[in-house]
Amino acid sequence: MADRAPIDLTKLIIHAVALLLVLSYALPYLYLVSTALKPAVDVQQIPPSFLPQRLSLENFTSVIGTVGLPEAFLNSAIVAVLTTLLSLLIAVPAAYVSALYRRRLTMLFMLFALITRMVPAVSLGVPLFQIMKTLGLLDTTIGLVLAHTSTAVPLAMLLMAAFFEGVPKELEEAARVDGCTRFGAFWHIVLPVMPSGLAITALFSFIASWNEFLYALLLTSESSKTAPIVIAEFNSVYGLAWGPMTAAAVLYSLPVILVTLVLQKQIVGGLTFGAVKG
Amino acid sequence: MNKTLFGAVAALCLATSAAQAEAITVLVEGGGHSLQQAAADAFTKETGIEVNFVEVPYQGVFDKLTAEIASGTSNYDVATIDVVWNAAFASHVEDLSDLFTDAVKADIPPALLADATVGGKLIAMPAWANAEIVFYRKDLWEDPANQAAFKAQYGYDLAPPADWQQWRDMAKFFTKDGMFGTDVIGATSEEWMAEVLQAGSPGVILDDAGQVILDNQAHIDALVNYRAPLCEDKSAPDNALEINWGEAQNLFYQGQTAMMKFWAHAYKMTPEDSKIAGKVGVAPMIGGPAGIAGIPGPWYNVIPSTSEHKDAARQFIAFAIAHNGLGIEAPLGLAATNSAYASYTDKPGYEHFGPLLATLSAPATKGRPINEHYQELVDEAVMPAFQGALECQDNVAELLHDAAATARDILGQ
Repeated sequence: MADRAPIDLTKLIIHAVALLLVLSYALPYLYLVSTALKPAVDVQQIPPSFLPQRLSLENFTSVIGTVGLPEAFLNSAIVAVLTTLLSLLIAVPAAYVSALYRRRLTMLFMLFALITRMVPAVSLGVPLFQIMKTLGLLDTTIGLVLAHTSTAVPLAMLLMAAFFEGVPKELEEAARVDGCTRFGAFWHIVLPVMPSGLAITALFSFIASWNEFLYALLLTSESSKTAPIVIAEFNSVYGLAWGPMTAAAVLYSLPVILVTLVLQKQIVGGLTFGAVKG
Repeated sequence: MNKTLFGAVAALCLATSAAQAEAITVLVEGGGHSLQQAAADAFTKETGIEVNFVEVPYQGVFDKLTAEIASGTSNYDVATIDVVWNAAFASHVEDLSDLFTDAVKADIPPALLADATVGGKLIAMPAWANAEIVFYRKDLWEDPANQAAFKAQYGYDLAPPADWQQWRDMAKFFTKDGMFGTDVIGATSEEWMAEVLQAGSPGVILDDAGQVILDNQAHIDALVNYRAPLCEDKSAPDNALEINWGEAQNLFYQGQTAMMKFWAHAYKMTPEDSKIAGKVGVAPMIGGPAGIAGIPGPWYNVIPSTSEHKDAARQFIAFAIAHNGLGIEAPLGLAATNSAYASYTDKPGYEHFGPLLATLSAPATKGRPINEHYQELVDEAVMPAFQGALECQDNVAELLHDAAATARDILGQ
């Protein structure tokens, strides 16, 4: 008879607590998926049931045929990708300079970036609306991209600055000794060692744009309407179509989950970045 | 030569101006778009003016219109707004009094006309209106065994409930076999407000002069009656505070309640796979000491003062009310005029229009206060007292007295 390994009680408790924590975060999403899989008539059962008594795809089939939803998904994807690229383009060099060349001006720059995160988005809605209207960018993809970028850049800067602070300045100096320009050192030497930071920053910028509601509501009407607006339209004054709404929300969450899974290695690396720094 | 050139330039300017006015944009909530599309198509056919709808979520109508007005210019020539926003937008929209001809006024239920009037001006034209009516299970009401048992127990015939006492009696009677007689909605207060009017109050929360009447006898009587199925008769599920419109509707669809008060449009929307499909009957809203009364749920077309095509917008609104019945074939199937509803009352599938029209036109039916603080009054004063009462412990009069004091504070009275 083979010897059994002794049960490590401490490890068991830690795993159980971890599982509970994960479940507490995942529960609302699981409930969303479960609701989407219920037939329309069972969606708002009283008392509510977590698991569907009957599985049905009718919410998914009805939502796929919803006028405007596929276009809205495409708009969301275009806006989120462009916002991510533009945010990285602006924020990464800015964060690099701010982190590695600490001067009063760069400190002030970062402080302003932080302050913009403290201003409620709703208070910027009307000024943004007026700016976009003046520029003729209402209900355009580029208008919404610019609006989303204005909120994503400060976040991306703060995130990237934290990552750049972990890069030894000697790396750039060595590159410059070898003949690189300052930008060349940044581009060819520093950036390639930052895949985790870039992945996390890109992901957060993408999610910020992907899920954004208020600016999309104010700045778009028809042609560039994004999916969060169309999903919210299931909540009509004469009824909340829970089934189709949850089905649309499940479908809408899939790309973010997919991107997160693809970038999982970099994200985990980024989250532990600096954990062993002395 | 110069005259010819001047004439040609002038004609070109006029033509350009006319071309620019050949499209209007209407801001509308999702469900309301379909109700106006048929009228818009007919309008375009008749006038050549295109009508483009911008569809947004419910709260988006308020947010977008607010942003447009704040910016000083507007992309929208018409906005279709919920009655609860009439007061908030009154100073930012055009006076539409000239569109309310005698014929139009005569065709609109008085409560809807009153809701359209702010500061003595008719600022909004009804687009469609809804009201709560009684939904009941025809199969249960028409069952001879139930009819005999009910008559034996209560001494009168089992028919759709028409007043407060009948509502309570029938709710108690059908609370059996795992089913409740009815529901009590505790997440919103509109259903109680309808009973306030049924009790004979001159208004809900405020009187016509804007004075707080939240603790008058009608408010108290109505709340005592409203909570009776929950607190005294036990003929409604006890989780009233968790029940909103959606939950009440689903309880009925799932066969867990025998009757409900609900917005009339739902008559056409019973799911085919529901246990009660084909078994739903409708009747006018119940009456109290002042008779039948409901709180209308109308939506109105307004013209933002920032619109750049006001004349075309006026033409559209006038056309839409004159052809109000065109929206009835849309999924929500609602209209605003008496004639539109009356033209469908005899058609199969539209049995709810008679009860709806009877409720909308009832003398005691009246809208919510046209006051820009309305939502604050509801959230801060009404709901705490209303939900407190549904805990079944506290004295209703005391709760409403405190609520009235809060309301007076909000209004600075």
